[in-house]
Amino acid sequence: MIEFERFKLKNGLTVLFHKDVTTPMVVINTLYDVGARDESEDKTGFAHLFEHLMFGGSVNIPDFDAPLQNAGGESNAFTSNDITNYYDVLPAHNIETGLWLESDRMLSLAFTEKSLEVQRNVVIEEFKQRYLNQPYGDVWLELRPLAYEKHPYKWATIGKEISHIENATMEDVKAFFHKHYNPSNAILCIAGNFELEEIKRLVEKWYGDIPAGIKPARILDKEPKQKEFREQIIERSVPSDAFYYAFKMPERRDPAYYIVDILSDALGREKSSRLYVSIKKEKQIASSISAYITGSLDDGLLIISGKLNPGKTFEELDKALWEVIDEMKKTTISREELDRLLIKIRTEKEFQEEGLLNRAMNLCTFELLGDANGINEEREIYQSITPKHIHHYANEILKQTNCSLLKVKAINNAE
Amino acid sequence: MLNRSQQPELQAIHKIDFVKPQQFDITSTVKLYFMKEVANDTARFDLYFDAGTVKGEKGIPSFVNSLLLSGTQDKSSTLIHEQIDALGGFMESGISFESAVTSMFCLRENVLPLMHILTDAIQNVAFFEREIDELVQDKKQGYLMNLEKVSFLAQRGFQQRLFHTSENYSKVANLDYYENISSSKLKSFYRENYLEGLFKVVVVGNLEQDAIDEIIDTIGKWSKPTSREFESNIKNLPGNTHIEKEGAVQTAIRLGKILFNKTHEDYNDFVVLNTVLGDYFGSRLMSNIREDKGYTYGIGSMLSEYNKFGYFMIATEVATEFKDATLKEIKFEIEKLQTELISEEEMDLVKNYLLGQLLKSADGPYSMMDLYTSAQIHGFDFEFYNKCIEDLHKITPERIKELAVKYLNWEDMTIVTAG
Repeated sequence: MIEFERFKLKNGLTVLFHKDVTTPMVVINTLYDVGARDESEDKTGFAHLFEHLMFGGSVNIPDFDAPLQNAGGESNAFTSNDITNYYDVLPAHNIETGLWLESDRMLSLAFTEKSLEVQRNVVIEEFKQRYLNQPYGDVWLELRPLAYEKHPYKWATIGKEISHIENATMEDVKAFFHKHYNPSNAILCIAGNFELEEIKRLVEKWYGDIPAGIKPARILDKEPKQKEFREQIIERSVPSDAFYYAFKMPERRDPAYYIVDILSDALGREKSSRLYVSIKKEKQIASSISAYITGSLDDGLLIISGKLNPGKTFEELDKALWEVIDEMKKTTISREELDRLLIKIRTEKEFQEEGLLNRAMNLCTFELLGDANGINEEREIYQSITPKHIHHYANEILKQTNCSLLKVKAINNAE
Repeated sequence: MLNRSQQPELQAIHKIDFVKPQQFDITSTVKLYFMKEVANDTARFDLYFDAGTVKGEKGIPSFVNSLLLSGTQDKSSTLIHEQIDALGGFMESGISFESAVTSMFCLRENVLPLMHILTDAIQNVAFFEREIDELVQDKKQGYLMNLEKVSFLAQRGFQQRLFHTSENYSKVANLDYYENISSSKLKSFYRENYLEGLFKVVVVGNLEQDAIDEIIDTIGKWSKPTSREFESNIKNLPGNTHIEKEGAVQTAIRLGKILFNKTHEDYNDFVVLNTVLGDYFGSRLMSNIREDKGYTYGIGSMLSEYNKFGYFMIATEVATEFKDATLKEIKFEIEKLQTELISEEEMDLVKNYLLGQLLKSADGPYSMMDLYTSAQIHGFDFEFYNKCIEDLHKITPERIKELAVKYLNWEDMTIVTAG
């Protein structure tokens, strides 16, 4: 059970406080309800570029990192298609430095040309390092637009293309900040050994006078129901052929999300999973194969991906893969198999919650989903899932007409 | 009125409350370290083997490590994994130059049954040909994929030149590696380094003493007294090397030299110098090469430690056109540290940062155990970190400059680029 308190400031900032008497550290986690899905199609990669600019100094503090390091702390952030999340971890007695820094950059940024210029370059190098200069690194840049026709999940967080980042202007940056970075669009979680009253006083002190702003309305193009099988082959200079089967699945808030999560585990999470045993161990068609879900807030994807063994064909794989899927659709899984999947999930969750930072981040994410207490309800939801549920969703989700297949064909093998 | 331009007052760290793990003798040479202070139901145990890559001929140690759960005469590999999964266990296996470790993450109620499954699997590996063939194929594919990465190419070239005088440490993977694997070689390495090579056990979790007794009992029958020996006096080969990779849009840079570990008298102060230069977000290298020039997504320096030595390394991936400019800036930053005193302000910042990071490394039972074992390898206790705190409060800009001159001579560096 993760205990927490919730309060709201007049300007709309939602604050969660999680008390942990054992830690000498404090975590200050700030989730902004903005991600790559909120970008316009001709200016992609912006939420993420903006995350970099948040470290380029704020209205009253020229340098974000140095004062935090001076307080013995460190900070980082990540951007996804759904959210942007910032965190500071520092010795508990220096909590005010963290609040001072985070509140000032919520108030306003320094917006210097130099910072924009440099971070554009840094992000372009990140684009190259993670997506272009890695074998299979660009797969998601291809798979997203294949699986999504309308919804902004069709582009990756890093952006559709480098030129979008190159063309970002100061005007764009300021508009983005004013629209999305205000108290009513943020969830703050503080975790550490404090009293609630002290946290209330400190948060009011540092965040109370930040103008409220308006929580931006989110009207996204809804992804139409997929009705046909899609397939695309790309050729790349990689050592082996690779495959990515992407099936549409329900959104994060849908109870079925959890069922499909288990379904993906049954198919390909562990070395005892169905695809691994059949396609890797028994038939030896693939050198690796796994199944997982993207975990996105809107309609997500269940992915089956892997690499072919030398001399094996996409056709052999396809036949074997659908045999496993058909078996999954025909018969219900045994209680024993389901229990095996459930205890892995329970163990994993217990480890996640061992860390203070994870607890703070997850509380914010669940609050965004509607209620931070969701963190404590997950286990029961998983436990209530039955073989029948899984059988039903196997038939719902694992259909040709709900599938997009990306094949990466290896050329010029560097033997 | 709130003054937002003024940083709130800071408090310095003078003391950290370390929690020492309990220590048990499994045999005269094999110890078990136990940390009971875990607030939730998680647990972890690690088995350490004297089976690092330097202990065997090329390829063999890492293959044996990957085959530990490949099946016994009684159980297939799939059955072993099913049993582990049914108890919610997450197994991780890793190998470094000087040791191999198998770790199990699980709920505390499952520690004992998982311990029995794991020890049975590891003590009775059958080395089925089919499993070996499958692994050869997988590793070969993984290797071919790595060849596409400039970071791998640079790291590999760096390793060859860094450990220039040592055959064991400088050997790297290549394609004929995979032709060299035979079950008789695997079995003999396995007998010597796993069946008779267990040298340390670590347990973290809120377990009762009976559970620990049972673990000691199970492991005790396995352990054989061993004395472990390691190479020292390895020398790196200074100078520049470039590895060409057609079509690469980035160049990987690895730069460094052989140095020391925690046992050296300059270690604590060198850690501070290393931090100033490249081991935190505000470091000289990050500020100059990422935050000022934008040549890279990241650049860092580090000190890696082994039983008898350590090495210093700077690593980055930069836009191909900025390779030479980056090397020039790295040299510039090192020379600046050798000729100019760092400001009191920067000195204080780095001290405070490192004290905060040490506090964080001691937060929670898992971190605490890892902190302890990384000192224990070199024969130290938590006293080592108390001395660290003392030294941090004493260090001066003069000392930083002195160490930069003593240890960061540009002509001594091995420099490898790939791109």
